Amino acid sequence: MANASKTSFGTFTAGLIRENPTFAQVLGLCPTLATSTNANNALGMGLAATGVLILSNIFISSIRKIIPDQIRIPAYISVIAALVTIVDLLMHGYMYHLWTNLGLYVPLIVVNCIIMGRAEAFASKNSVWKSFLDGLGMGLGFIGAILLLGITREVLGNGTIFGYRLWPKAYAVFVTVLPPGAFLIIGFYMAIFHHISIVRKSRKRA
Amino acid sequence: MGKHIKIALILTILMVVLGVVLGFVYMITEKPIAKSDLEAKLSAIKFVLTSPQTGKLLVNKNQIPTSLAQLDSKIWKSNPSGLLYKDPKYPGYVLSPVYKFLGKDGLPIYVLTGYGIGFGGKVVTVAAFIQQRDKKFYENAIDVINYSSETPGLGAKINNNNVRRRFFSIPNSGFKRGVKVNKDANLFPLPSDYISKLGQYKKEGIVVTSDVMTGATITPRAVVNTLNAMYDFLEKEAR
Repeated sequence: MANASKTSFGTFTAGLIRENPTFAQVLGLCPTLATSTNANNALGMGLAATGVLILSNIFISSIRKIIPDQIRIPAYISVIAALVTIVDLLMHGYMYHLWTNLGLYVPLIVVNCIIMGRAEAFASKNSVWKSFLDGLGMGLGFIGAILLLGITREVLGNGTIFGYRLWPKAYAVFVTVLPPGAFLIIGFYMAIFHHISIVRKSRKRA
Repeated sequence: MGKHIKIALILTILMVVLGVVLGFVYMITEKPIAKSDLEAKLSAIKFVLTSPQTGKLLVNKNQIPTSLAQLDSKIWKSNPSGLLYKDPKYPGYVLSPVYKFLGKDGLPIYVLTGYGIGFGGKVVTVAAFIQQRDKKFYENAIDVINYSSETPGLGAKINNNNVRRRFFSIPNSGFKRGVKVNKDANLFPLPSDYISKLGQYKKEGIVVTSDVMTGATITPRAVVNTLNAMYDFLEKEAR
């Protein structure tokens, strides 16, 4: 896990692969699986969650010395809920189609474990700059993971990528768009990430 | 005691700051949200006033509203409460106002907005009903304008063109029996030649959705409940 002794570069890169919130930390799986049915939705969800993550990390880091320990969780939740409401209002006003497509998962960003997890584990203990880098890195890691799932599920389940047809629908494996397909595909990618992690560790030891 | 007061004070200040920020963002987004909602409604009205068979408008082009003022001039029935009708049997509601247009062939066309209860909440549908010369109603087309509480990839597919088309062109005979989705009408599994019978099923009040909405029956059921409520409302008010 990230700690205060990391360099700025190390803080930023941690979330990309080594501590990827989805594949390594296994956080926020509910919205990840539910909204990764196609690449467009996955990208929209990834961007919305990343925006909230970066802003919440900055805000929570900047008030960390004011908020007493006993009330830090309700304070963080309030900050995150306010930021999610802002994202929800902005999406409703300026990205109506995406807002309709993402549906109830936009308000549910409030309870996304990645955001609460980073607030508690990192932003509440580190400077604003490092918290921003952590939010950005973790956010990009989340976007990468959810986009990978979204593209895989859309390509296999519909034969399209971002709506552009690659092959006839007759060859589509529809189960990949359904919940069981989401579990199968995320399991497959987690196995790959775990394998890469084991190989890297064994190389370091050698 | 002093510690508790300090905690209460900090939480109060935090909430006030967040409240002010939210209020500010709400003020900024109020007009764009109203504009987005209006654009979605205007686009839906134009869509349902288009013949699914020919792709041509059923009304003259100058009758299609492009602003709130033009839309308001088409109001036929309204209610300050926002609700015009509630189906006594199913959770289907007709919202205020209902618009009335005059078709190119002189027939009145009613455009209604209503909702049913889907998996996560309201599923809002706009539909056009043509009152034919024998006074019977023929549902032309629908557009689902709000399904934001439905599951992405499942219920949220309700407004995909291939799904939406299944609710087009339902004749009066279908509504007489009450429209149902095929699973509720015991038409499942589907026979091998069901595609060629979709029109016949609509005459019997059956909308086939199980092939295009796999794993999601509640959302199309919300749409048929809405359509049934709209038909009942028109039967009572426009006959």
